[in-house]
Order: sequence, then C-alpha cells, then structure tokens
Amino acid sequence: MNNDQSNADELEQLAGEYVLGTLDAEQRDAVQQRLAYDGALRAAIDAWEQRLLELTALAPAQQPSRQLWQRIGRSLDNLAPRQAAPERSVNTSWWNLLPLWRGLAGAGLAASLVMAVALSSQTVTPPQTSYLVVLVAPQDRAPGWVIQASSPREVELIPLGQVTVPADKTLQFWTKGDDWQGPVSLGLVQPGEKISVPLDKLPPLEANQLFELTLENAGGSKTGKPTGPIQFIGRAVKVI
Amino acid sequence: MAEQNLSLPEPAFDYQRCLLACAAGDRRALRELYQQESARLLGVALRIAREPAVAEDIVHDAFVRIWTHAASFDPDRGSARGWIYSVTRHLALNFVRDGARQVPLDEQHDEALQASAQWQPVDFTAQAHSARIYHCLEQLEPARRDCILHAYVDGCTHAEIAQRMSTPLGTVKAWIKRSLAALRECMG
Repeated sequence: MNNDQSNADELEQLAGEYVLGTLDAEQRDAVQQRLAYDGALRAAIDAWEQRLLELTALAPAQQPSRQLWQRIGRSLDNLAPRQAAPERSVNTSWWNLLPLWRGLAGAGLAASLVMAVALSSQTVTPPQTSYLVVLVAPQDRAPGWVIQASSPREVELIPLGQVTVPADKTLQFWTKGDDWQGPVSLGLVQPGEKISVPLDKLPPLEANQLFELTLENAGGSKTGKPTGPIQFIGRAVKVI
Repeated sequence: MAEQNLSLPEPAFDYQRCLLACAAGDRRALRELYQQESARLLGVALRIAREPAVAEDIVHDAFVRIWTHAASFDPDRGSARGWIYSVTRHLALNFVRDGARQVPLDEQHDEALQASAQWQPVDFTAQAHSARIYHCLEQLEPARRDCILHAYVDGCTHAEIAQRMSTPLGTVKAWIKRSLAALRECMG
C-alpha cells in the first residue's frame, strides 16, 4: 500500500530528525511523549541512535573540572532517600536538587502548554504581563496542574486531572523565588480542586519562581518547610 | 587534539555490566562509567551547548539520569554505551531547543558571528574512523554531509545550518531529508 509506505517514510524521517537533533522544542516534546506508547517510533529511533552513534567521536573530548564528579555525588546523595522510601527525611532539601530543576527546565511539554495557553488567552484579554506554571510529576513529567497568574499578587491553581492522596496525607502548595532562603507555604490543597491564593505577603511573582505540591501528613508540614515527597513541580514562565 | 579525536572506547570495558550494577545501587559502577566516558560525553555536550559551564551541567544531569534510569536500559534496544550517549545528547538537545539559546535577535547574531569565528567545523576528512556511518557519509555530496554533521555534532537547527552554509532554509531541509534517506539505505 502506498499509504503505508508513506507513513513508514514519515516515521523514519521523524525518528531520523529527532536523533539528528533538528526538531524544534515542540516537535521534540511530541516525540518524547509518543515514545511512551508508540513502539514503531521507538524502534525507528533506536535504529537511528545506533546508526549515528559513532559520529559522537567527532566531538573532541574535554576533561571535566575536578568538581564535577563531587557534584554528581552530592546530587545522588540527595536523591537516595527519595528512592529508598516515599517518606523523605526532614533535612533533605529538595530545593537544592539541581538535577530536578535542570530536568524540569528541559520539559518541552511545559513550553508547549504555555504556548497553547498564551495563544488562547491573547484572543480574550488585552496583552499584559502574566505568568504561567505547569506543574509536572518529577518522575515522568506528566502535567498535573497549571498555575495561572494574571496579576503578580494572586495565583490560581487549576487541576488538569484527578490525583489521589492517601487518607492520612494532604497536598501542600509551596513556592520559592530564585534568591529566597527556602520555600514558603501557600497552604493545603484538595486533590482536583481549583484554588486562588493571594500572594500579598510575598514579593511579587517573578519569572522562574518555583512552585510545587508536596505530599505531607494531614494538617500540613509541622516544620514550615516541605518534608514529604514532591508530587508536582514547575517554574513560572512569563507570558506576554 | 588529533589523538583525542581518534581515541576510541576500549572494547574491554563492559558498559552493560556497569549499568546493571548502577541499577542495583552500586555507585562504584557509575564512577567507572564516569572515568571511562565523562571526557567524551563532555566533549559531545560542549559541541551542542557551546558553553563549558552548561556542558558540565548537562553531563552532571546525564550521570544523575544514568543512575536513576539505569534499570530502564534495555539491551534489546541498543548498546549500553549508545544508551549513555543518547541520554547525554538528548539532555543537551532539549536544553538548547527549550529556549536556552533563544536570546534577542541582535545578540543571537553577534553570538553566531562569534561562534562561527571561534568554532572550527569538525574535521571530517582527518577522521580515520572505520564505523560504517563514515563510509556512508562519504557517499554524500560534501554540502549535504556537512548538514548532517552540523546537526548531529553541533546541535544546529535547520536555520542555523542555513546560516552557516549560506544556503536557503528550504534547501537545507530538503538536503537533510534526502541525506537521511540515503544514510538509511546505505546502512540498512
């Protein structure tokens, strides 16, 4: 069938350009999402990875700085309690989990959602600076909540789907600006419930500001800092 | 430089064993991988990210990811060594595509000018590589081969390649498309 052939060619083309690196952020994100369920695309990408792998030898090797391995070690130390048990120790500061932030900065999905919301909101409201955050699950980057802020003084937390929380636990909402000492609680959140949170006691919302939801014991964290595992996390993006 | 370019992984190194050990929580195995590959991975990341500090961040993230995702490595889908390179390259590509390089146009222009002055294209002919991909690339016209190398090695977008090669964007896209088809045919 001609059609099958052209579909197969298209798949090969997409896989080839993905591995080559020429897809834009949105296309890369779409491919990375499809990988989870599209075996044919995965196989085509695997084949391209193998075909082109030896070209990596063209990049001259660079000796890493001495600190790099130590940095990796510290990051693994911070990760370890998360892997071992769902309950994190109180003194593990998740906001220092560099790989997590870096990884999330790479979440193209967030970018495409931002684009989609930015485009749709432009048609209804006059252009003004506002912020948007897509909160994703740290493990698989699945989006769970969106935070919209049309004013720097208030944010709206909107669920994208249903999440379940154990009966003796609660979701707690946190934020942290780039140069803040630590995260600040924005209160407890019911799964699946949309809430508005005034930020009047905090500095105005800024780009890159961190938001997340952690799983805490009922009543919320007793220490004033997050103690439970992160369920959803994201950074504020300015929408013009 | 030439020795560095030509350095090949020692065939004796058992990448798969290291990944299995990482999945089992053995940090020495990650250290072995690091000693074996960090300089080459940093080289790969640096070509794409173009800034040493960013490249180190990428390699940092790559090793954390190798550690946390080692259990998801599937030998049926490709080599263990290939997997760690893919992890690193895609972190680097995600990073540069997700806006890290999206600076204002005039800055971008300056940067591009600087980059083209500082960054030497990879020396394809000097590479005495036996891998089949080199044989297949040699079959392509030089300009089309360069497109593939600018993209894969330097992480260039279609537009950046068009700029580097002073070639219309549509032509670059068509060349890449046809080159990929030719490479697939050549390599099977």
